[in-house]
Amino acid sequence: MVDTAAIRALRTMDLIPYILENPGVSIRSLSERFSVTEKQIESDLQLVFMCGLPGYTPYELIDIIFEDGIVSVIDPQVLDKPRRFTKSELIVIALGLEILIGIGSSNPERNQKLKALSEKIAKLGSSNSVSFTPSGNNSIYAELIAEAISKRKNIQIRYSSLVKDQITDREVAPQRLYFMNGNLYLSAFDYGKKADRIFKVDLIKQCEITGTKNSEADEETNESLRVVLEVKKSHRNFIERNSSIISSVTENKDSFNVNIDISNIEWIRRSILSNAPGISVLSPDSLANEMRQSAASVLALYQAEK
Amino acid sequence: MSSQKTERLINLTLALLATKRYLTKSEIFKNVTGYSGSAETMERMFERDKDELRSMGIEIDVKALDPLFEDDQGYLIRSETFQLKGNEFAKDELLYLTMAANLWQSTALGNDSKAALLKIQSLSGPIESDVVNTPEIRDSENSSMLATAFDAIEYSKVLTFQYNGSDRVVEPLGMYTKTGFWYLVAKDENSFKSFKLLRIEGKLAINSKQNGFKKPENFDLMQYLEKMNNETVLLAEILVRKEQAFALRSKYVVSEFDDDWDLMVLPYIYEPEIIETLLWYGENLIVLKPESLRKSIKYSLKEFIDG
Repeated sequence: MVDTAAIRALRTMDLIPYILENPGVSIRSLSERFSVTEKQIESDLQLVFMCGLPGYTPYELIDIIFEDGIVSVIDPQVLDKPRRFTKSELIVIALGLEILIGIGSSNPERNQKLKALSEKIAKLGSSNSVSFTPSGNNSIYAELIAEAISKRKNIQIRYSSLVKDQITDREVAPQRLYFMNGNLYLSAFDYGKKADRIFKVDLIKQCEITGTKNSEADEETNESLRVVLEVKKSHRNFIERNSSIISSVTENKDSFNVNIDISNIEWIRRSILSNAPGISVLSPDSLANEMRQSAASVLALYQAEK
Repeated sequence: MSSQKTERLINLTLALLATKRYLTKSEIFKNVTGYSGSAETMERMFERDKDELRSMGIEIDVKALDPLFEDDQGYLIRSETFQLKGNEFAKDELLYLTMAANLWQSTALGNDSKAALLKIQSLSGPIESDVVNTPEIRDSENSSMLATAFDAIEYSKVLTFQYNGSDRVVEPLGMYTKTGFWYLVAKDENSFKSFKLLRIEGKLAINSKQNGFKKPENFDLMQYLEKMNNETVLLAEILVRKEQAFALRSKYVVSEFDDDWDLMVLPYIYEPEIIETLLWYGENLIVLKPESLRKSIKYSLKEFIDG
């Protein structure tokens, strides 16, 4: 797409304060940041030489040095500060601050600053038609884990697994923190299991930084089991939540057939039972039978007990 | 694209931004490079330039300089509407802003995140990436619609999409998240409704120009959400087997019931949701009260066994 003159004019004006604050920046890095080709950046900068304030003597023109692929601004004229944030940029910032407040509960001083900042952003005109609630599970170790990732340190965690319903101590090399469907997850290499594992951060009950990261990670290939489920439309939440591990979905009249590759059999057992009777197992038969049996033994509890 | 026009737009912006008093058209034509030709040509050029800058969000102030001559108008751009102030944010605030914008880099809001980061870095200079090691947000497929929805809400544009098998034409009013999913609040056939973004079928399309509808004056997103969340909380009394259901134990208090079981009381609003939570623990958990919940669980299990 060819830029209109107005878009190009704005980009060119945006370049000046950026270069001013980041002197000696390379053309290549500008082209990455501004998402245009290096050639385009060069031609935008050529244009700047011609621009300035009425009078247009050398004193009134924007003055930049542009040499060997590196740029600095000598005189920005009035373009010494960036343009104000647009509405959608403010939304992105405001939503991001909400998330930071949600995960930073272990640091009240910082959170107070974040809240004040978030009010400031609201005053700049961020939208009041968007409400973002990070699903509030206090992840008091999120910051510590982020620190461990930056410093490439291992962490020792006490993890309360929802799937196995066990509390275990593990040493892991943290790799990445990410949000999915509002929950914060940690992907990390588990030294005990010798494999990558994903942890829900709010289930980490204790955490401390230990040694330096040991990069030799002999990966174990996880064998997975192909399971075919029939999920009633009333239980489509299950599909939405687990879209990342579902390999295909076909639609029937009142249900979906779902192919899913399971590496954790315990997880699928619990998921099926907790969605009963919304999810049934089409294959393998062994799992279908097993599930009927475990439903029967839960039911037996209710019938036996007073 | 001619660079002449780009150059003229930049020079016009700079001139209007630098001036302390309103500039008249003739002053602009005389002093800003790029305006040439007959008076009429220059006039047309100026009108177009002004509209284009405005459509890019630049506010140009107009003031009648002489009440007797309507033609004699002056123009300027107020710096505070155009630029951030150098002292608008403290050093640590700039760091937090960077972290906040960073979160969205690899999502459908990535372009806005990138643009915001550029502006922040134009105030702060380079920030060491080590200090801003924050989580990233992984997109669930629905957020590709977020940008469209935000835009439609902000500029009052009508949206069309399919939902539950029928075509909808709605007036979007707000967005909110619940348990990690985005919802759109919109006026659909005279009532306010919530649509789960993920369940929108087909394309979420904009179907009107800016200000395609009038926002109802009595609508307030926060009040709408409050009303929605204002549901009665029920209590379930359950038995939990010893050394089991750790996730529940970390949230709710237990007392000893007998050698094998502990007693726990937990609040709930919506029955299907609590059933899902409880059945997760299988044989390690029994509901004592209320009877209605016990009944529903038994019914669900029977249904499941009978297939």
